[in-house]
Amino acid sequence: MAQVWCLLAPSLAIFLLYRILPLLWNGVLSFEDWSPLKPAHWIGFENYNEMLFDDDVFWQALWNTLIFMASAPIGIVIALGLALLVNAEIRGRDVYRTIIFLSYPMMTVAVAIIWRWMFDERVGLINYVARSLGLVDRPIEFLNSFNWALPSVIAANTWQMLGFYMIILLTGLQSIPGELHEAAAIDGAGARRRFWSITLPLLRPTLFLCFVIGMLNSFTSFDLVYVMTGGGPGRATELLITYIYKLGFSQTRFDYAAAVTVFFFLLLVSVTWLANRISGRDAGAMRMD
Amino acid sequence: MHRYPRWPIHLALLAASFLMLIPFYWVLKTSVSGENIFAYPPSVVPKEPHLFYYVDVWYYIPFARYFLNSVAVSAIAVAANVVLNAMAGYALTRDFAGKGLVLMLFLSCMMVPFQATIIPAYLITGRLGLLDSYLGLALPQCSTIVCIFVFKASFEAVPQSLIDAARIDGLSEWGIIWRMMIPLAKAAVATNVILSFIWSWNNFLWPLIVTRSADMQTLPLGLARFLSYQEDTTGALYAFCIMVLAPGILLFLLAQKEFIQGLTSGAVKA
Repeated sequence: MAQVWCLLAPSLAIFLLYRILPLLWNGVLSFEDWSPLKPAHWIGFENYNEMLFDDDVFWQALWNTLIFMASAPIGIVIALGLALLVNAEIRGRDVYRTIIFLSYPMMTVAVAIIWRWMFDERVGLINYVARSLGLVDRPIEFLNSFNWALPSVIAANTWQMLGFYMIILLTGLQSIPGELHEAAAIDGAGARRRFWSITLPLLRPTLFLCFVIGMLNSFTSFDLVYVMTGGGPGRATELLITYIYKLGFSQTRFDYAAAVTVFFFLLLVSVTWLANRISGRDAGAMRMD
Repeated sequence: MHRYPRWPIHLALLAASFLMLIPFYWVLKTSVSGENIFAYPPSVVPKEPHLFYYVDVWYYIPFARYFLNSVAVSAIAVAANVVLNAMAGYALTRDFAGKGLVLMLFLSCMMVPFQATIIPAYLITGRLGLLDSYLGLALPQCSTIVCIFVFKASFEAVPQSLIDAARIDGLSEWGIIWRMMIPLAKAAVATNVILSFIWSWNNFLWPLIVTRSADMQTLPLGLARFLSYQEDTTGALYAFCIMVLAPGILLFLLAQKEFIQGLTSGAVKA
């Protein structure tokens, strides 16, 4: 038995050190007034009071994070379409899958630079196409515009996540027994009817899984936002995670950053729990009508 | 199943592939020809392509140093992941008191994104005296729960009689893992290698927090820094971009199957 614990020890030590201990430390730190140069003292809920009642940036960052999260279904729906297409028996489908998935394992910092260049107001491809088609008469400064910056970042993020959603949905599609479709086809159900009555209900847990991944992604997209806009212009693209980073490492307010992190983590856990709850209630159930 | 025409599917997928690839093309084009930001319209095909920007990268920034740092950190992370995850994965195939607790701990750790730990993780690394070091850069990623489960699933497929036979022959637990299990679990090793490599190679937030000296910066940091120095008008930035992306893309194309298997198994478990 001792052997087993020896084998587990290094991994356990890493997780305790970099997962569990930080959670606890964040909790403690959020109730303290502390910076590396002065001793800590307990101040109760003061950090939380400041966050909730006296910090507009926090609310802006929270709102942006929620918009980011709410945009995940757009990517998931597109990915579902792509997954259905690459699930068809056609020549070269592996090549299509690879191309569509390729953006996911790429370094996000590089993705951010690529999309900065695509959105560039002088020679960016997007402005060029929009101007050539006569959609706009003056170039749009996407990343410097209060209205366009957040949608632009979300578009870049969707581009990167699309392939991942597609692969997950594809796994879900492939786990649906083929006989169901065949039986329904014999009973005279058309392709559209089979999609709504068989594919979609059986895919429901997978769709929720994608939503949980997208939600997690909206909470953790630090690299993309930091490099594309740095949270700007103003605070137009500030997310909770970029705000936490700035509080901690530009303003050295570790205590306050810890309070925001605790809020961030609780929000994440409750949304995940909620999504699981909704999907779990009749996961895999079929509509019989 | 009745037949349906295939060309609309091909058409839709070709359009999707085109949209996915066009950003790469735009950057590749700039990396070989630069871009005159005062000339409109931008050229769609590179004019007089050349590779000088790829040479410039070596002069503008300490590319070799960044590359070396990234390789060192990734090497530590990959080696540690294979060794530690194989040990933990094997331990989890055995029955022992407290196994349920360990599994619960692992699953709950999966719920904690790294981003939610940055402040204390920085303070802890500071207390350990590992700020600004390769080990400090790699340590939080030295073992991954998803990859432990990949090993566990693969080890569970090995018949118990084979393990018993090895024990009777006098092989220690350590010997069983390295001489018997690992050779039987090559796919799991490949999954571990590629996942931990990509995660560590692409990591930006953690190096941004723990590195202080310019000498310890990894490629993603160097890239972000280059952007802030040069603004985004020079072809060299995009050449740098391509040079940084190449190893990851190459490795992904070589081990695509293992990568996707690892990811989906992890995602479905989570």
